[in-house]
Order: sequence, then C-alpha cells, then structure tokens
Amino acid sequence: MASTQDIKRGVVILWKNEPHLVVEFEHIMPGKGSAFVRTKLKNLKSGKVLENTFKVGEKVDVVDLEKRRVQYLYASGDKFAFMDNTSYEQFEVGTDVLAGFEKYLKESLEVILLFSEGSPITCEFPKKVSYKVTEAEPGVKGDTASGRVTKEVTAENGLKIRAPLFIKEGDTIIVNTETGEYAERA
Amino acid sequence: MIQNWQALKDDEKKRDIFFLRAKIIASVRDFFCREGFLEVETPNMVRLPGMEPYLDPIKVALPFGGIKRDAYLTTSPEYAMKKILAAGFPKIFQICKSFRGGEEADRLHNPEFTILEWYRTEADYKDVMADTENLFLHILRSIFPEKPGAEENLIVYQNKKIDLSLPWPRLTVREAFEKYAKMNLDDNLTLEAMAVSAKAKGYVVSQDDRFDDIFFKIFLNEIEPNFDQARPVILYDWPAQLAALSRRKTDDPRYAERFEVYAGGLELGNAFSELSDSDEQRDRLTEERDLRKKIGKEIYDIDEDFLLAIRDMPKSGGIAMGVDRMVMLFTDAKSMEEVSFFPAGQIFEN
Repeated sequence: MASTQDIKRGVVILWKNEPHLVVEFEHIMPGKGSAFVRTKLKNLKSGKVLENTFKVGEKVDVVDLEKRRVQYLYASGDKFAFMDNTSYEQFEVGTDVLAGFEKYLKESLEVILLFSEGSPITCEFPKKVSYKVTEAEPGVKGDTASGRVTKEVTAENGLKIRAPLFIKEGDTIIVNTETGEYAERA
Repeated sequence: MIQNWQALKDDEKKRDIFFLRAKIIASVRDFFCREGFLEVETPNMVRLPGMEPYLDPIKVALPFGGIKRDAYLTTSPEYAMKKILAAGFPKIFQICKSFRGGEEADRLHNPEFTILEWYRTEADYKDVMADTENLFLHILRSIFPEKPGAEENLIVYQNKKIDLSLPWPRLTVREAFEKYAKMNLDDNLTLEAMAVSAKAKGYVVSQDDRFDDIFFKIFLNEIEPNFDQARPVILYDWPAQLAALSRRKTDDPRYAERFEVYAGGLELGNAFSELSDSDEQRDRLTEERDLRKKIGKEIYDIDEDFLLAIRDMPKSGGIAMGVDRMVMLFTDAKSMEEVSFFPAGQIFEN
C-alpha cells in the first residue's frame, strides 16, 4: 500500500475502488496545521473530475500501469500517432493523454505510454529533450542597450523558447519539459 | 533555469506586479499610522522559537560571546510583539520576514515569506475583524483609486470577481460544519466522536490521526471549497484545541476566540483574542511541546520571559497575515513566485 508521498501528476490511484488519474497535486497547510495534499482526480472510466484532499502520509492505493516505450510518428489534427518499438503496433492518442506535453514532440522522439486495461491513458515524457534551433536573431553578448539577457528562438518542431543571447541558428539546445525552459546548450 | 530577474526584463506585466507590491505595503503602513499604531521591529533570530506543533523553525549557528550557540529564525514575531504590549505599547504592527523550514516552495508557500502582524490592547478578535476589513478597503483605494461606482469594491482574482464591501460575511466554525458538512460540531469535539463521524462519511481514519487531522480532512474537502468565492469569509470561533494562543469563549469554553480570513481561495490571516492567563498559557505550551515530541519534532524550552509578559499583557486582539498572498490577491497573481523577485525554488534549485 502506497502513501501520499508516492502520488504526483500522472500517477493512477484507486479512489472509491475506481481508477483515477492524478491531474493536479498541491500541498496545503491549513491554519498552521499539519500538511495536506489537494488533488484533482479524473475517473478513468467516466472521465469525471473531482477534488480530494488527503492528509500527507495517508495510505493510498496506487495502480501500477503497463508501460510501453513508443516512438512519435506524426500528428493528425488533434491526434498524435506513436509506434511501439517492439510490437510495431501503432496508437493514436489525444491531448488528454499527452497532458500538454504535445508541444515538445519532435520526429522519432521516444516517450513512455502508460496503459490501463489496454488503453493508453497517460504518458511519461522525457524530462529533457534536445532540439536543433532553426530560427534565432543574432544576439550579441554585451547588448546592454536593450538590457536583454534572453531572446526568443525557434526549435525544429516550431516550439518557441527563450534562450540566452549566444544561441545561434544551427545550435542544439536542451529544453526542460517540466518547466518549458531552456536548460543548456548541447 | 531562467531566473525571475531575467524574465522580468522583457515582461511589462510581470514588472507591474512589483510596483503594485510596493504600493500595497506602503498603503498598509499608511493605514496603521493613521490608526495610531506604532511600527515595531523585533528579532528574526531568537533563542526560543514558537511551540506550534506543525511548524519547523530553522536552526542557525550563532557565534556569540565566544561560543557557537543554537539560534532559530522566527516563524512569527508574535512572542516578541506580545512582550512589547506588556511593556505598555497599546497598538503595534510589524511587517517582516518569517521563516518556516517545513514548507515546500510552491504556489502558496516559500520558506522565507513576508508577514504582517498587528495587535491592539483593550480589544478582542472582533475589533481585529473590523481592522482587517478596513485595511483591505484602504489598500484597494490606494492602488485602484478610480473604480466606477458599481465596481468600487470589486477586485478580480483568477477570473472570479470578489466584492470586498463591508461587512464581510462572518461564519462560525460550528455554522460552517452544519451548513456544508451537515455535522453538529458540538457533538464532535473529541477525537473519538470526530473519528466516528468521519468514518461514517467514508473518510479513511488511521490510528495515528489526531483531532485536528480529522477536523481538517472534513474541513478541506467539504467546507472550504464551498465558501462563496465572490466574497471574503471570516471564519470564527474555532474549537479550543485548534487555538492554543487564544482566549476561550466565556459563554462556551469548548471554543476559542480565533478567526481565519479567506478570499479568492487563499487563506490570508489567522487572528485571536489573545490569551492573557499565564497559567493557562503555560499549560497550552506544555501540551504543544508534548505533541511536538510525540510527532518527532525538535522540542524547545518554554519561553519563561514570554509567560511573564502574558501576565502583564492587557486584554488584546491580534492577527498574522501573509503579505505575499495579499499581494497575490490584489495583483491577480496565481503563485507566490510571481510576487517575489527571488523565490526559494530559484535560489536553491536542485
């Protein structure tokens, strides 16, 4: 039996005997009292979203999901196609499964899809992804007149990121997908 | 990680928050000066920190008098300010940093944060409620002086309109339990009774759950989320076991004269009619110390100086408010990180 320390966004727990995806997760400390965790849970069967606040340390039933490593193929409207590298099976998933990470997808990117009863319901996205910079204004270090320290660059998949002034077109940058920020130059 | 100060260079909207923050704090000072309060400064580093069971004072090593001593950063300036009341200063306020080690750095918390506390003698928590309402309207007028008639007391927080017109809705904790949790709190003031009621509602109650654990499970799930978000709420008269520094009600000593103020889903302040019975205060501090020991927290000696001061302290009311959260409310900021130049998460990033 797991506890609240094992839950975070993307984890599936049994709530009132039904699998729920943890969609949001936040610590609260009411009136200088002990710590609680406020969660938004999505019922995987009905799609209904509810809120529940647990006391930190409370026992929680975490559901182990089947994990499969898949490769991104292409987008088709608001669906995204992936292929399982071992079985060559193809899946199409929507933005509910990718939970906002779809903007970080690039050709052949490997992600882990998590399945419950044969259907993909959430993903584990790589924390850092590298991209070639396809567009960047020239920025000279010491450009103190404008007082700028960062500039907007465009990544190979169209993603726009703020990066340091020394990044040029053709450079490869690494982006932190949890914060959406430039992490370092590759 | 891009630091706030780097992102601020390019973002006018983010920068405006800091100009508003300064205006808000200036208007807080203005309010208290007009009301005849004295601004005081008390130490951020003390020998004996507060005894709240769930707070984690941060320990520092102070080289003093030729030896290294244990000192603690204050979780609140309360003890020192009460000593000043006992010294004969009737109306005092302070805006200062407070430090809490157990806090995550997240949307609502930062280990180092700004706290506003004010105390008035020959007064009780009802006077402090009035101060709070008046303070917020004063701040609103200072930062948005030209709101049209109908909008005069409205602010917008995260897409919800909040009407700050006086008087603010007041609800006792008993009324809140009745209205939202369909529970008679009078019958549920013991651990056993609370546990039975909570289990009947389907909550998981464990062997180590204390009264306040179960109380808050119900409060956070059934009560707080259902407050009318269009108005602030003053929630008062809390069970005495949840208000160790506060005077019990004379007509019903099971409850204490404590209130909390909420607006926009934010817990903004915690206030009391201050306990001025030194013996009862000693008992309550001893209980808290025992609880700290029980739950594995560092324990401290009781501040005897504080108990001496309580003896001389006139009947008073006081409150602690989170200034960062007040700023969030008035600037429509979703997170504390937006109202701070250097949030802890960016200073101490993994």
